[in-house]
Amino acid sequence: MTHRIVVDLATGTTTQVEYTAEEQAAYDAAVAAQAEAPAEVSAETPAEPTVEPTEGV
Amino acid sequence: MAVTLNASTSSGFIQTADTSGELNLQSNGTTKLSVLSTGVSGTLVQGTAVASTSGTSIDFTSIPSWVKRVTVMFNLVSTSGTSNILIQIGSGSITTSGYSSSASFVTSVVSSATSTAGLLVTAALAGISETNGNIMLCLQNNNTWVNSGTVSIVPSTGTQFCGGVSPTLGGALDRVRITTVNGTDTFDAGSINIQYEG
Repeated sequence: MTHRIVVDLATGTTTQVEYTAEEQAAYDAAVAAQAEAPAEVSAETPAEPTVEPTEGV
Repeated sequence: MAVTLNASTSSGFIQTADTSGELNLQSNGTTKLSVLSTGVSGTLVQGTAVASTSGTSIDFTSIPSWVKRVTVMFNLVSTSGTSNILIQIGSGSITTSGYSSSASFVTSVVSSATSTAGLLVTAALAGISETNGNIMLCLQNNNTWVNSGTVSIVPSTGTQFCGGVSPTLGGALDRVRITTVNGTDTFDAGSINIQYEG
């Protein structure tokens, strides 16, 4: 199962929280979607370099 | 004279005959705030560092309501993929939309990225890269938080800059999540910690 790490600052405890069945299903679907469209560029994918270096004067 | 209030004594009060002029405020015997001749100290709280070696996100919860600044610190943090690192915040639950955030990776050229799902830390990650540095989150007004920061990426020679603003939270910030844009990459190296202050 996929999990997240949770640090409770009030108690200082760190726990590993397993995904719920719903979260795991969403995770699996996201991974499958990425595998099916590896070349697709999302809106949040870094753009190609947009600024060329400036030559020294 | 030094005075300690709420000390670990039955009276909750300790008066010390000296010339320090200190005033110490405690909770359960632990000093939380000190007023000294050199200034006020004790308002910066160090969180609990956690190894970022597994999981899709790392949450720091139970952040006190009086906090007005949070610093997220990255030490050789690596993930399994190339999805950018993202910070999300919340009050009661994590807020996953409504942000306005951007980041730029500056080398000999500049690569930029934007996000509304959180506060971007990076704009470009290679498959093998470790993120180092810190990002500061500040309470701008009325449960709205702004961030900025700089991190370096090893072994790249460039630097990542970022800035953004959160949506207005429903209450005082009480949690911070560090994750990735795609939400599926997992952390596989390094450690993350936070500091907070009011």
